[in-house]
Amino acid sequence: MTRILLKNKLDECIAAWRSAGFSVLAPVKRNDLSRFEEVERSADMALDLQITERTIKDHFFPQTEPLLRYTIKKHDLDSQEMLPPDIRRVFFGVRPCDASGLAIDDPLFGWDYKDQYWFKRRDNAVIVTIACTTSDDFCMCTSVKLAPDSTKGSDVMLRPLQNGTGWQVEALSDRGTALLDSVSSILQESSETPAPPASVPVKFDVDKAMEWLADPANFESHFWKEISLRCIGCGSCTFLCPTCHCFDIQDEGDTYTGIRRKNWDSCSFTMFTMHTSGHNPRNTQSTRWRQRIMHKFNYYRGKFGVNSCSGCGRCTRQCPVDMGITETLQAISNLQG
Amino acid sequence: MSEPFEPKIVAFVCTYCTYAGADLAGTSRMKYASNVRIVRLPCTGRISPMFILKALQKGADGVLVSGCHPGDCHFAQGNYHARRRWTVFRALLAFTGIPEQRIRFSWISAAEGAKFAELINSLTEDIRKLGPFEQYHELQTVIETQSTY
Amino acid sequence: MGIQVQFRKEAAELLSSGAVKLVIGYGEGSTPERRRPVFVRTPAETERLVLDGACVANLSTYLISEGLLSDGKNVAVFLKPDGIRSINILAAEAQLNPEQVVIFGFDIENGEARPLAGRKASDFTQVVEAAKAAGLSPELQKEAERLDHISAAERFEYWKEQFSKCIKCYACRQVCPMCYCRRCIVDVNQPQWINTSSHTLGNFEWNIVRAFHLAGRCVACGGCDRSCPVNIPLRLINHRMAKEVLDAFDYYAGESTDQKPVLATFRQDDPETFIL
Repeated sequence: MTRILLKNKLDECIAAWRSAGFSVLAPVKRNDLSRFEEVERSADMALDLQITERTIKDHFFPQTEPLLRYTIKKHDLDSQEMLPPDIRRVFFGVRPCDASGLAIDDPLFGWDYKDQYWFKRRDNAVIVTIACTTSDDFCMCTSVKLAPDSTKGSDVMLRPLQNGTGWQVEALSDRGTALLDSVSSILQESSETPAPPASVPVKFDVDKAMEWLADPANFESHFWKEISLRCIGCGSCTFLCPTCHCFDIQDEGDTYTGIRRKNWDSCSFTMFTMHTSGHNPRNTQSTRWRQRIMHKFNYYRGKFGVNSCSGCGRCTRQCPVDMGITETLQAISNLQG
Repeated sequence: MSEPFEPKIVAFVCTYCTYAGADLAGTSRMKYASNVRIVRLPCTGRISPMFILKALQKGADGVLVSGCHPGDCHFAQGNYHARRRWTVFRALLAFTGIPEQRIRFSWISAAEGAKFAELINSLTEDIRKLGPFEQYHELQTVIETQSTY
Repeated sequence: MGIQVQFRKEAAELLSSGAVKLVIGYGEGSTPERRRPVFVRTPAETERLVLDGACVANLSTYLISEGLLSDGKNVAVFLKPDGIRSINILAAEAQLNPEQVVIFGFDIENGEARPLAGRKASDFTQVVEAAKAAGLSPELQKEAERLDHISAAERFEYWKEQFSKCIKCYACRQVCPMCYCRRCIVDVNQPQWINTSSHTLGNFEWNIVRAFHLAGRCVACGGCDRSCPVNIPLRLINHRMAKEVLDAFDYYAGESTDQKPVLATFRQDDPETFIL
C-alpha cells in the first residue's frame, strides 16, 4: 500500500496549499507559449505536455533581475539592495530533468559566495515532480545518466498510476514531507501500481565523450569548427537550458541614479567575454560552442563533480538550425571510437 | 481639487527652420504652453527614431518632430529622407499601439512663429485630453518592482 | 531526373571544376521532418545534399558570415525566391558581390520542391516580379487588419503580452540575412539608446527597433518567426511594415541588385498626409 493523489482531488490540494500561504505554479500553455505560471485550479494546468518550452530555472534565476538601486551624490553614493519577495512556492508538475537542473546549479550559486537571490527562492520552493511515462525525439536524460523518473532536485515525486486516475506520491525531503502532511487528508492509501517510466534511448556514451574532452590535444581540434559551422550565434539553447547560468551585470539609469541588474548572458553571443580593449579570447563561433560543451562536460564537473546537463533536450528541440548537445556529444563519442 | 494634468512633451526640431520659428515666437512675445522641451538638431534628417523611443522611455507623454518645409531644407534633402522615415516609423508605432495622437510631425519655417505657438498650444491641449501615457510609463515602473518574469 | 539528384550533380560539377569553393544547401536533420543547413566542399560530399518540401530556411544568411566571400571565390547556395530577394538586397546594400553567388533556385509548390531556371541573381527577375504580383501574404494581412481595427490601447496590450515573452536570445536577429551589423544597436552602450535588459520595456524597444530596421528590407522568409523560441508573431510586424512601404512608396524589397533602399531614397511627391 502506498499513498496516492487522485487527479480529481488535485483542486482540493491546490486550495489547501494556497490557503496555507503557498503560491502554486504549474505548466501553463498561454499566449502560444508553455511555461510555469501561477495557477488557481487544475483546469489551468497543462500537465499532459511532454515538457514546457521554458524551464523552471526562470523562476529562480530570472532573465533580468534588479539587484540594487543607486543614487550618486556629490561626495557620496547611496545604494539600496533589492531582494526578491519572500514568497513560498510549490512547483507542481515539474519534469525530472528540470528539477535536476536546479540541483545541478545549487553548488554554483553557493560555492564561494552564497547568491541570496537564488537561495532565497530555492529555500522557499517545494519541487513536486511528475515522472515521465512518455518522451519525445529530443529527450536524452538517460544519456547523461539521469532517468525519466530520477528524483534529483525534487522534494516530492509523483509517479503516474497505470490506470491514469492519479499519481503515486513519495516525499523525498523534509520540505516534501511537510507539504504532503499538509494535505494528508486528501491523499489516499491504495495498491494501484504506477505506470513504468518512459524508455528513453541512450544517444551517446557520455563517459567516452568526457574522456575526449579531457584530452588537451583535442582543444584545438578541427572538429569544433566543423560541428559549429551552421551555428548562427543566437542564445536560444542557453536561455532555454535548465542549467545554463551565465549572467552579466548591467547598470540601467541616467547619470545620477539607476538600477543595477543581473541579466542572462550567453556564450553564443559575439559579445560574450569581450574585453574592454576589444580583444576577445573566444572570437569565433566554434570557440564559443566549444566553451559551451567544455563548460558542461568538463569544467563544471572538475569544479562541482557533476555534469551541467540534465538531458532535457531543449537545445536541440528549439535550435533554429538543428544543432544541440546530442549531436555534438554523439559525434565526440564516435570520434573516441 | 487635484492639479490639472500637465503633459510632458519633447520637441525634436531642426535648427534652421522650426527652432528659428520657435525663436521668432519668443522674440515676438507670443505666449505658448510651457509643457514642451525643445531639443535642437542640425536637420530633421538627423532625428533618429531612437530619440522618440528614448523620450517615451524617459516619461514623455507626447513627442513633436518638426523641420523645414519640403524644398526648404538647408541641406537640400534632409527633410525628404526624414519624411519617409517618419511615414514608416509612425505606422510601426501605431501598429504596436502607441497612439498616433501622441507622436506628431510638422513643417514650421523660420517665419512661422505664430504657427509654432499655436501648434504647441493645440498639441498640449490634445495630449492633456489624452492624459498621461500610463500604458508606456507602467512598463518603466514594473522594471523596478518585478523580479520574476 | 528529380531536383535533388539534378542539384547534387550540378553542385558536384561546380565543385570539381573549381567554379565554387563551397555549396550551402540542406541536409537531413535530427528527425525525419527536420532539415539542417549543410556546407559542402568536395564533390563526394554532395551526397549529403537534400532538397524537398521541408527545405524552408533562407540560407542567404550564411553568405554574410565574416570573411566568407572576401577571398573573391564563388559560393553556391540553395535559395527560394525569398532568398533570392535577400541576395538582391545584400548586393544593393553593398554587403556582397552578387557575381560571387551561384544560386540553386527552387520553389516549393504543394509540398514539393521544383527548380527555378537561372544561376545568377539577375537571372531571376521574372521570379521576383511574379512574387511581387502575387502580393503580400493574405493571412498575415488579415491578422494585421484585425489589429488595425482594435483600439490603440488594446493593440498595446496585445504586443505587451507578446513582447513580455521575449528572452532576448536574438535568434530573430541572428537568423536574419538582413541583420548584418557588426555591432547591433542593442549591444551599443555609449550611448545606450534602448534597454539591453530583457524586461518588457526593453523587449518592446528591441522589437520596435528591429522591425524599423527591417522596414522595406524584409523578404518575409519567416526565419525570425520560425526560430523564435517563445513564439512571438514577428512575421506579422514585419509584414505590416512591408505593407506600409508598398502602399506609401510602391516599394517591394529585393526586386533587383541595384534597387535603392527605401529609406535611403525619396521622391519629392512622397505622401505626407500626416504632417501638420
